[in-house]
Amino acid sequence: MSEQNAPEPDACVECRRRSWLLAALSASLDFSAADRPRLNSLLALDDTALIDALAGRRRAELQAGYEAFEAGEPSGMAGESICRHCTAFPRMLVDDPGLPWLLNISGAEGRERLAAGDPMVAIVGSRRASDYGVEMASSVARGVAASGMGVVSALGAGVAAASLAGTLEVDGGAVAVMSSGLGVSPTTGLRALYRGLLRSGCVVAELPDDCPGRRWGMVASERIVAGLADVVVVVEAEDKPTDLAVALVGQSLGRCVAAMPGRVTSPLSRGTHMLLRDGAQLVRGAEDVLELLYTRGESARSTPRLAAVADASAAALEPRLAAVLERVGAGRDTPDSLTGEGADGDEVLCALSELELLGLLARGEGGRYVPREPWG
Amino acid sequence: MVLARAHAFTIDLLQTRHVGVEVDVRAGLPAFTIVGLADAAVREARERINAAIRNSGFEFPARRITANLAPGGFPKSGPGLDLALACAVLAASGQIPQAALEQCALFGELALDGSVRPSRGTLAVAEATRRAGLPRLLLAGSRAHEAQMIGGLEVAVVERLSSAVRVLSGGAPDPLPRPRVSRGKGSSTPAKTLPAVDLGEVRGQPHAVRALVIAAAGAHSCLLSGPPGVGKTMLAHRLPSILPPLTRSEAIAVAQLHSAAGESIEELCAARPFRAPHHSITAAGLIGGARRGWVGEVALAHNGVLFLDELSEFARPTLEALRQPLEDGRVAIVRGGHSAVHPTRFMLVAATNPCPCGHGGEGERCSCSEAAIARYRRRLSGPLLDRIDLLATLHRGSDGENTPALTSAQARNEVLAARERQRRRLRGEGVAVNAQMDARMLSEHVRLDARGEEMLRRAHEWGLLSARGQARVLRVARTIADLDGSSRVRARDVGAALALRPDVAVAEAPAA
Repeated sequence: MSEQNAPEPDACVECRRRSWLLAALSASLDFSAADRPRLNSLLALDDTALIDALAGRRRAELQAGYEAFEAGEPSGMAGESICRHCTAFPRMLVDDPGLPWLLNISGAEGRERLAAGDPMVAIVGSRRASDYGVEMASSVARGVAASGMGVVSALGAGVAAASLAGTLEVDGGAVAVMSSGLGVSPTTGLRALYRGLLRSGCVVAELPDDCPGRRWGMVASERIVAGLADVVVVVEAEDKPTDLAVALVGQSLGRCVAAMPGRVTSPLSRGTHMLLRDGAQLVRGAEDVLELLYTRGESARSTPRLAAVADASAAALEPRLAAVLERVGAGRDTPDSLTGEGADGDEVLCALSELELLGLLARGEGGRYVPREPWG
Repeated sequence: MVLARAHAFTIDLLQTRHVGVEVDVRAGLPAFTIVGLADAAVREARERINAAIRNSGFEFPARRITANLAPGGFPKSGPGLDLALACAVLAASGQIPQAALEQCALFGELALDGSVRPSRGTLAVAEATRRAGLPRLLLAGSRAHEAQMIGGLEVAVVERLSSAVRVLSGGAPDPLPRPRVSRGKGSSTPAKTLPAVDLGEVRGQPHAVRALVIAAAGAHSCLLSGPPGVGKTMLAHRLPSILPPLTRSEAIAVAQLHSAAGESIEELCAARPFRAPHHSITAAGLIGGARRGWVGEVALAHNGVLFLDELSEFARPTLEALRQPLEDGRVAIVRGGHSAVHPTRFMLVAATNPCPCGHGGEGERCSCSEAAIARYRRRLSGPLLDRIDLLATLHRGSDGENTPALTSAQARNEVLAARERQRRRLRGEGVAVNAQMDARMLSEHVRLDARGEEMLRRAHEWGLLSARGQARVLRVARTIADLDGSSRVRARDVGAALALRPDVAVAEAPAA
């Protein structure tokens, strides 16, 4: 079992041994996947205590394996490992014992970005996001990434995928946290994104490369996302632990938590609105996120340079287009609801197409139009 | 006389083929043999003919009878050869003058009491008789109106075998039965029984109604998408009421196909066919050739509308089979060494829900997982969606109380005017509607202004349109301009056409 770890000179043997131990105890840890506080307390234990707590009948075997552990052959994944004892290890992850001790990194520009300590924004939310959530996540990610900051999220569907994809669109620094080892291919829908991340972003995991994903891995990745971020932005979350976990972990780690409002009637806004009521910062777009970062006085190295396209094109809009855009924003999102009041159907259709071509609207599910922030 | 010849026709797939019926009667043990690749229905004719001849008061020769169906190379089917066989037997036994049989074709099935029953494909047989240069056709009365649609042919009605003998011996035919009152509506079985419907009955959904009018004006294929109960099917069923009437040549083509499918045609019908097969239909049922002479729904919808309700429920191979008919306007069927080509210029209208639960785009009501929606879209996506010009989305709660409903008569006038403009413009091109314009015609007849060009270029750059999608948008834009009476395609037409474009099929997540 010991050859599961790549013998990179960067990560020390102790940290790699801990990663091996987590993989070996993966099945036992999975019993605590539903109980987040317990899982987090287990992950904060040191190695011996962890074996005591979870090994049970396998104790002798594990103990033997643990003592005989030595760095083996490199596995197939062309990644590298860093641990808390490396200078390259993100400083953000050092302050809490529950945070991982080792990270396997893969991707074109991974390590430098993490090591440089660029400010990072986590954009998280529901896996079943609406068109609105997807558009918002992607536009905030584009704005943040264009301003030189990194975007971190779990490699999952919905808001997470949209924010990572949005970051890649503007060639920004996207960091995806995987719940399995790096060598395990994600589900079909995420594979294109995964390949894109390997090409121009980076993927990190705390488990050995060929360790398959389990439920607890998903929960454990949430704390890495929160740990790596300076600001956690929640876009569309239902009022349930899976959607809010990153925000709650972020809160406990002392990160700035922000949320984007939605419609009060939508269940997908319940979680975000609850966060807002409980004191989370309200963000309406990438600018608000930047403002949060700077008022916190953290890392004022890069100057914010939000793509000026947005203001320019919105300001120069013809009045008829501006009127349609405003009404779509107000919830009249179908051609039928926009027509009426004497407006000609074809004129409205044409205005919708023009706005879509300006990048200010997107045609979503069921032919409803969603406002979005322009780019490009 | 021991040898007699008669002319008959059989329907082989859709082709109607001449059959020479030769009967030889000679001394020997009484027997009746039919040779020449006859199918079961023709072989059973022996018993029907025997009984019919005796029961009509004639003599069935108690000798050795051999009937040959020439040419012997292809299989003959159906009971339509009965009348010709019986008359040939009578002629061979000297009960009818042989010369009379030379100048006419005989078509009909015999009952045991000697009466003549109509047979499938009368119109096609009448057409073939005229082409074969035979001046006269003897057939059962109930289908005589059908045969009379083909000019240049004397149609003699024979209700019984004895009438046929009388006619062939120089007597007068039976009187033509009085035509039943014309129902005049549609020529497909379901549409005929439908009450007259009007577009004005559709409340609200002005966007979808407009899309339907555009589709009708340019004969564009159209996809109606929306949650259950918003009126997709209702809308589609009103499409025939706004389509222009069939021209005479179109009506004859439609009648021939429907007659070959076994429907009784009493007069040429001006209403366009509307076919709405259930989604359990097989590929062979849709395309034709499920068995000999079987005309598929695509051919029956020729010059009319093929409506596929619940598009995503159709089997994948069935939908794939639609590609050739949609693309080429004809379908070539090859079965057992024979081939037939049916014309299939129909307008495709399909209806579907946006997702498996049907409530996609309705906010929180949709309970489908992302994977389920992706799977659902994949079933629809691909080659078929690529041939759909227009997407009309319907929404709940679009009651449109304040918008006056468009009646069928108003819509039809708009459509007729637009079609007339298309016909004038496309004169000499071999097509009559915008939907059939090819790339060359598009570049000649659809000139955009700079703004329109810019919009199209941008849409292509942004991946909203494929190359084929651009051509579709141009066709639809041309039709919108025609509906507005504009000779030029303006930017607003392109914009409206863009908003009606079907979604580009997305195979996988972004950033690929």
